[in-house]
Amino acid sequence: MTATSVEPPIKAPIRARRRRDPSSYVVLAALIVLVLVMLIPFVIVVFNALKTPEEYSTNGPLAVPDGIHLQGLKDFWERVAFGEKLLNSVIISGSVAAFAVILSVLNAYALGIGRITGRLWILVLLLMANTLPQEALVYPLYYLSKQVGLYDTRLSVIIIFTVIQSAFGTYLLSSVLGSFPRALLEAARMDGASTWQVLWRIVVPVTRPTVAVLLVFFFIWTWNEFLIPLVFLTSNENQTVSVALGVLQGQRLMDATMSSASALLGIIPTVIFFLIFQRTLTRGLTAGAIK
Amino acid sequence: MFKRSRRAALLAALAAGSLALTACGGGDDGSSGSAKELKLWHYEGPDSAMGVAWNQAIKEFEASHPGVKVKFEEKGFEQIQKTAPMVLNSKDAPDIMEYNKGNSTAGLLSKQGLLTDLTPQVTKRGWDKLLGPTIQTTAKYDAKGVMGGDKWFGIPNYAEYLQVYYNKDMFEKNNLKVPTTFDEFVTALDTFAKKGITPLSNAGAEYMAQQYLYQLALTKADQTWVNNFERYTGKVDFHDAAWTYGATTFADWVKKGYIAKNSVSIKAEDAGTTFISGKFPMMFSGSWWYGRFQKEIKNFEWDTFLWPDTNLTLGSSGNLWVVPQGSKNKDLAYDFIDITMKKGIQNTLGNNGGVPVAADEAGVTDAKSKELIKNFTTLTGKNALAYYPDWPVAGFYDTFVTQTQKLINGSATPDKVLTDLQKAYDSGLPK
Repeated sequence: MTATSVEPPIKAPIRARRRRDPSSYVVLAALIVLVLVMLIPFVIVVFNALKTPEEYSTNGPLAVPDGIHLQGLKDFWERVAFGEKLLNSVIISGSVAAFAVILSVLNAYALGIGRITGRLWILVLLLMANTLPQEALVYPLYYLSKQVGLYDTRLSVIIIFTVIQSAFGTYLLSSVLGSFPRALLEAARMDGASTWQVLWRIVVPVTRPTVAVLLVFFFIWTWNEFLIPLVFLTSNENQTVSVALGVLQGQRLMDATMSSASALLGIIPTVIFFLIFQRTLTRGLTAGAIK
Repeated sequence: MFKRSRRAALLAALAAGSLALTACGGGDDGSSGSAKELKLWHYEGPDSAMGVAWNQAIKEFEASHPGVKVKFEEKGFEQIQKTAPMVLNSKDAPDIMEYNKGNSTAGLLSKQGLLTDLTPQVTKRGWDKLLGPTIQTTAKYDAKGVMGGDKWFGIPNYAEYLQVYYNKDMFEKNNLKVPTTFDEFVTALDTFAKKGITPLSNAGAEYMAQQYLYQLALTKADQTWVNNFERYTGKVDFHDAAWTYGATTFADWVKKGYIAKNSVSIKAEDAGTTFISGKFPMMFSGSWWYGRFQKEIKNFEWDTFLWPDTNLTLGSSGNLWVVPQGSKNKDLAYDFIDITMKKGIQNTLGNNGGVPVAADEAGVTDAKSKELIKNFTTLTGKNALAYYPDWPVAGFYDTFVTQTQKLINGSATPDKVLTDLQKAYDSGLPK
């Protein structure tokens, strides 16, 4: 028996057939209202991104724009060299997602399947570390990175977030792997698979939906991070998208139309990413991967 | 959906450290800074008066220093505020940067030894002769980091002050003249209020409300009072005549409808845009709006006047050029500051809606800008700048916002508000 032929023991979501009674229409209506409410801020951002500053000041933030005015978007793109920031964000978020997932899988393999001694305490420690606020970490991390000469490099942010994200990943995956079917592992061992082979041929393929969800979340979470990139990426050429958006907030004045334009540019990549991986996410959810 | 709590792992740090070090080492080069580059940071928008003037200064600097390139990076205000102590303490410090004036900002950095003492340069290059005494106060700090000290740690290029912006069309429609005395000012407020128009645009959620209150107090105060309050030179009593007058009059104005009750949760940005759209006849705020009003007010005529019948008004120097202790090209940084203090740059600042500290009136050609600078000269002529109410102690800004909101809501008496302000002030004083 080859390891790859094992069927993933994931239950297909059971779809109960239901009659359309009046209550389902009420739910539908409520959902539509909810969707509209959630879309309103987005619509306002789009409106203001397409206005001239004069139009904004005269007609207020809620008015519909007179025409499509793309100068704000263009100015912002050039002012902060947005292409460069996008590339930085992709590099940082992408590497963090990849490294953190690898690290989580390796850790969780030892904790969940290897059942090393003291695993409970390690998990408790990780859980406690999860609740630590980032503000408390900034100064120690700043001194550490300065000591090793990594201050103001993208690498420092990649390392920090790989560790932070994998702490959560390890915690989650360990509990998933804790209930991994033992029979499967024993069968593989009988066939003479090494520890390493068990991991890559059995454990990883079976838990792939969970791992994929982790990957997507790590990417989006890292993309939206603000405080640590703000502190660690001081040079403009290293900055990420979320830090670049902060440039527009002046001391006393704000440029509302350009802020909207930048907000729009800032969320578009995550929205696109979300749409691409939306299937992965929902699959992971129905498999009960998280929470 | 998945609300992620902030998290970190100390344990996993050990595991990841080894991985990362072998996976991708190095990557940082160019740390041996060549003397041919001036690293400059500031956080003014490219269209603002400072942004325009400093852009010109960079060009002039490069022209007069062949072979030197200015590496300018525009920063966010928040980034500089949050990270300056850390950046300046590392080898990545810029050679010159803009920084906020005041005890808790530039003062704090000077106390920590992160800024270069500019005193020798100031006397050598004669910058002190260009700056008036009230402007100098925020550029000089003592050993404790309190402003008005003996050592120069920054050079301001511009200043800011508060004045009343008014809508000329609305004044004409109601047969009102520009008020020259406080009584005339109150009459104007009353006329509008009686017709159902709220005369003053206010933002209770931000700095505006406390600035109204402080200005009212200042009409009954003198320079010693200001020094006691801002520089801890004497005892501060929030129940003295000036503060009591300020708080009670402010509460009274809300009651009479001069200041709208619903302004309690309004932000400064919204107070400004409603003035631009012509809904309010007056707004008392800073010169930082000037350039924007020049550009964006199209539907009516507007002008400004200084708060009538007062010896003191809010204002100070603008932000400072500081030279970090870790600057690798201090001489170039001094040269750059020198260029920004020259007439050419100062006049550009003036012509773009800024308040230059050392412009000549002939060099500023724009009529509106001339007015702005004339008012400023009047103020510095009588040493009338009294800084801002939130400066003396850390966290005072938020205290002031909360307390003035209580006055607007009528949920606390002026007496109670002053008692609470006193408490916050006393507990926040530097030891």
